[in-house]
Amino acid sequence: MKRPFLGVTIFTVVIVLLFVYIGEVLTKVSGEAVKGAGHGVSAVGATPEAGEAIFWRKGACYTCHSVGRRGSSIRAPNLGESGPLNMPIGARAALRAQERTKQGRPMAATDYLVESLAEPGAYVVEGFKNEMPLVWKPPIALQPDEIKAVVTYLQSQGGTVDAAGIDKSPFLQKLKAAAATAAAEVAEAWKPYMPGDPKLGQEIFFSPESPVGCGKCHATKEKGGDVGPELTHVAATRTPQFILQAILEPSKEIASGFDSILIQTKDGRLITGIVKKEDVASITVADSQGQLQKIPKAEIAERVPQKTSLMPENFGEILTVKDLHDLLAFLMTLK
Amino acid sequence: MNLLNRRFRAAFPCTAFLLFTLLPLAFAAQPPVEADYRGFFGFDSRLVVWIVAELHLMYGAFVLGVPIFAVIVEYIGKKSRDPKYDNLAREFTKLLAAAFSTTASLGGLLAFSLFGLYPKFMGYLTGVFHKSYYVYALLFFAEGFTLYLYYYSWDRLQGRWKWLHITLGILLNVWGTLLMLIANSWASFMMSPSGIDKETGRFLGSTWAAVANPLWIPLAIHRFLGNVAFGGLIAGAYAAVKFLGAKTEVEKAHYDWMGYVGNFVAIAALIPMPFAGYYLGREVYSASPVMGNNMMGGAFSWTFILQAILIGALFIGANYYLWIGMGRIAGAERYGKYIKYINLILLVCFAIWLTPHNLPLSAAEQLAIGGQYHPILKWLGLMSAKNAVVNFIILSTFFSFLLYRRGNKGKPLPFREHGATAKVVLLAVGVVCLGFLGAYAGHLFTLDPASLDLSPDKARYFKFPGLLLLIQIGAVFAALALTFVDRGIHGQALLFAVTAASAVFALGVYGFVVMEKANPFLRHIAVSQFLLVIACLLANTFIDIFLFKGAGEIGGIRWGKMPVRSQYTLVLLCVTIVMLMGLMGYIRSGLRENWHVYGIMQDVSDTSYTPTMAYMARVVGSIVLVFLASIAFVFWLAGLGEGKAPALAPSGEGAEKVQRGRTK
Repeated sequence: MKRPFLGVTIFTVVIVLLFVYIGEVLTKVSGEAVKGAGHGVSAVGATPEAGEAIFWRKGACYTCHSVGRRGSSIRAPNLGESGPLNMPIGARAALRAQERTKQGRPMAATDYLVESLAEPGAYVVEGFKNEMPLVWKPPIALQPDEIKAVVTYLQSQGGTVDAAGIDKSPFLQKLKAAAATAAAEVAEAWKPYMPGDPKLGQEIFFSPESPVGCGKCHATKEKGGDVGPELTHVAATRTPQFILQAILEPSKEIASGFDSILIQTKDGRLITGIVKKEDVASITVADSQGQLQKIPKAEIAERVPQKTSLMPENFGEILTVKDLHDLLAFLMTLK
Repeated sequence: MNLLNRRFRAAFPCTAFLLFTLLPLAFAAQPPVEADYRGFFGFDSRLVVWIVAELHLMYGAFVLGVPIFAVIVEYIGKKSRDPKYDNLAREFTKLLAAAFSTTASLGGLLAFSLFGLYPKFMGYLTGVFHKSYYVYALLFFAEGFTLYLYYYSWDRLQGRWKWLHITLGILLNVWGTLLMLIANSWASFMMSPSGIDKETGRFLGSTWAAVANPLWIPLAIHRFLGNVAFGGLIAGAYAAVKFLGAKTEVEKAHYDWMGYVGNFVAIAALIPMPFAGYYLGREVYSASPVMGNNMMGGAFSWTFILQAILIGALFIGANYYLWIGMGRIAGAERYGKYIKYINLILLVCFAIWLTPHNLPLSAAEQLAIGGQYHPILKWLGLMSAKNAVVNFIILSTFFSFLLYRRGNKGKPLPFREHGATAKVVLLAVGVVCLGFLGAYAGHLFTLDPASLDLSPDKARYFKFPGLLLLIQIGAVFAALALTFVDRGIHGQALLFAVTAASAVFALGVYGFVVMEKANPFLRHIAVSQFLLVIACLLANTFIDIFLFKGAGEIGGIRWGKMPVRSQYTLVLLCVTIVMLMGLMGYIRSGLRENWHVYGIMQDVSDTSYTPTMAYMARVVGSIVLVFLASIAFVFWLAGLGEGKAPALAPSGEGAEKVQRGRTK
């Protein structure tokens, strides 16, 4: 190779390597490395934790709203104390509801929050534009339970979490009805291979002798574990195909707030689980058996988000076709 | 060029024509259906399409960008009767002809990959766009024939036939631009679909409605300018490598000049690029606030830090090359004292441009700086600060170019010696500036706050930018008046000073007030800044043309007398713009997130997630290396059939004959 061309080649490779290096550095600096893939995330558990995960990821709420000092968006009102009226949104909602009532649309604080997500154009905070998208429509396409989770998260910002109140909100009822209609249309077009027996399915779900033992991690109507999402109303919002896929390929879509992490301690131990509690000093994770482990942060060497679910991936091998259909039949009764 | 090579090149357009006409037939009949995927011999399908599409895009940018300035250079050669321009245009076209067949091959490979790996999605897209495929194929055919006709008829169509040859060049650009517009419509449809039922995705029957989607033209303008800059810098790097390997002074002089023209073309296209980028970004936001927010405040916001670094390297590199070039111009040393200030401005501006608004901080780090944001840097990370510095960068680069241009110029002639034409042209420029500045000022003074969801009292925030636009009109006419009385340089300085004070400092600071008090009005501040700067660029360019028309020369330009580092700067610029194109391709495509067609057809493949910047940088870096290696190989192939005759000096006598001898 001629000398000038060789020099140019080396120079070019060095510039490209520098570009790659900057990409690596920005990934670390921006915190992008710990976010992981975020599209396949949905929520079943309507808790403030799940709502927080949706707010800062799938729902993309953070691209317009900050919450106090968290986030940097200014396009829409800050939902923390530094927002309008100098109140966090949980507390602010009560005053807004009074304002809405005076405007001729009587509502409680919870209704105001649900309305903000279901019909964002109905009330626009002064100084801001009417530009919030309908989050229950594509491209964000939140499910009613996910909206419920976000509302509980907003309530937790200086207000009282009132999950029952959210369920009663006419705005959510309307959304649920629309979602159920859409799900029914899809379900109608899909038929299982064979009919299932819900009673046998319930046994498979809860029995300690069952090879799968879903109840160890999932609860239905206050019975069962809390490692995985609660499934009390799963059939109301999910199609049979989705539920079947969640059983056979649990990592394909992981519910918000139920992503697992791998923790390596300084003494070399590896712990995989779902974060149940975290404060400045420690982190508590639930493992696949539902056991809680509290790990002091000072002992953690590395913490890596996992793309796989904590739920075992081998149910397709353990369950017979008949068991699978019985289990599905039971889950479809949970509305 | 031998016959085999010609046949080889001509075969590609034919193959591609067949490809583009036959494939749609297989898919056109299929109704829009749910997505389905195939693997690629165990490799990640997304990665395969990413690499092939990016390579095709890069070759396409070169093939579409180069003819634009090749034909302009040829036209200048015709008007000036200077053979150096004609030879340069021919050399640019030689590179073009060599790269064309590779572009076509990659286009075919891309089509195969997409139809093979994403069959259902392509079935849907074909269902919507199949009519445009045929037009595309025909245009591609026309482009191929016109290109080879343009290149191979160069010697034949000289003298009185030169106009016919230039017409062929223009035709080549027309076909190329139409091709780009059609291909852009497919890509922009995927981002902002139109002409379909938004609930079901069903095609409503009008291909034009799908083509004319909201992002079609903004994307086309951005890409058009990007292609010109890309073509200029690739040609510049080609010249740099040739310069470094040149054996004679004549060759060095020729390739030095070619590199300069490449860089000049790139700067000319780069200067309006931020405005085109802003327009595109604004339209992305208008088409989908979710996508817009994700771009500037969500998952993609950090990619714009990387973009700022690359654009910073481009502007600083292009300026640096101009400053080195002033070393070969006798008389340019008079302006050397300004360079350090321009450099300082550029560096400070880029530091501000790439300042992020906030960083993910630990509790301890937050305590150390007193919160989530740094007390000073938080202001620099906001859009208002960034808009201000981008305008300052453009003004500084333009100023740099004016210094270069007048490097060897002596005292200007009295203005009256330019005759009435000069006055008419400058007054026309003034009227144009008056038109667009006045129209926008009028718009701001009468803007209804309710249209921005603002209360009536917020209208007071619209007055200040309107007033600055009116002041700019005054500054433009003052500069023209000074030019008429032989004080053109003072007029230019006045216009620069007023523009910098208004667009950079006044509106830069005022933007923060607007963000706080009337946020929805912020986009009008950006448009005002853009108009102020454009008026300055336009008026000062024409003043400069007449100011130094016929002025005496202090000394000549010593072409070829450039240090090695100047040529490495051209290489740096080339690599940077290729990386930038790779990055922007990633951002544009990635903004759709987990949608093939945004909001209509979901991507449910295993790779429907946004990769990290580290992964993106590795992929884009690899693509850049493959592209540069392959285009170097293509250029080497193109030169195989040529003799070893020396290249022409920019003003070499009898040079045309030598050049003809080389290419016969």
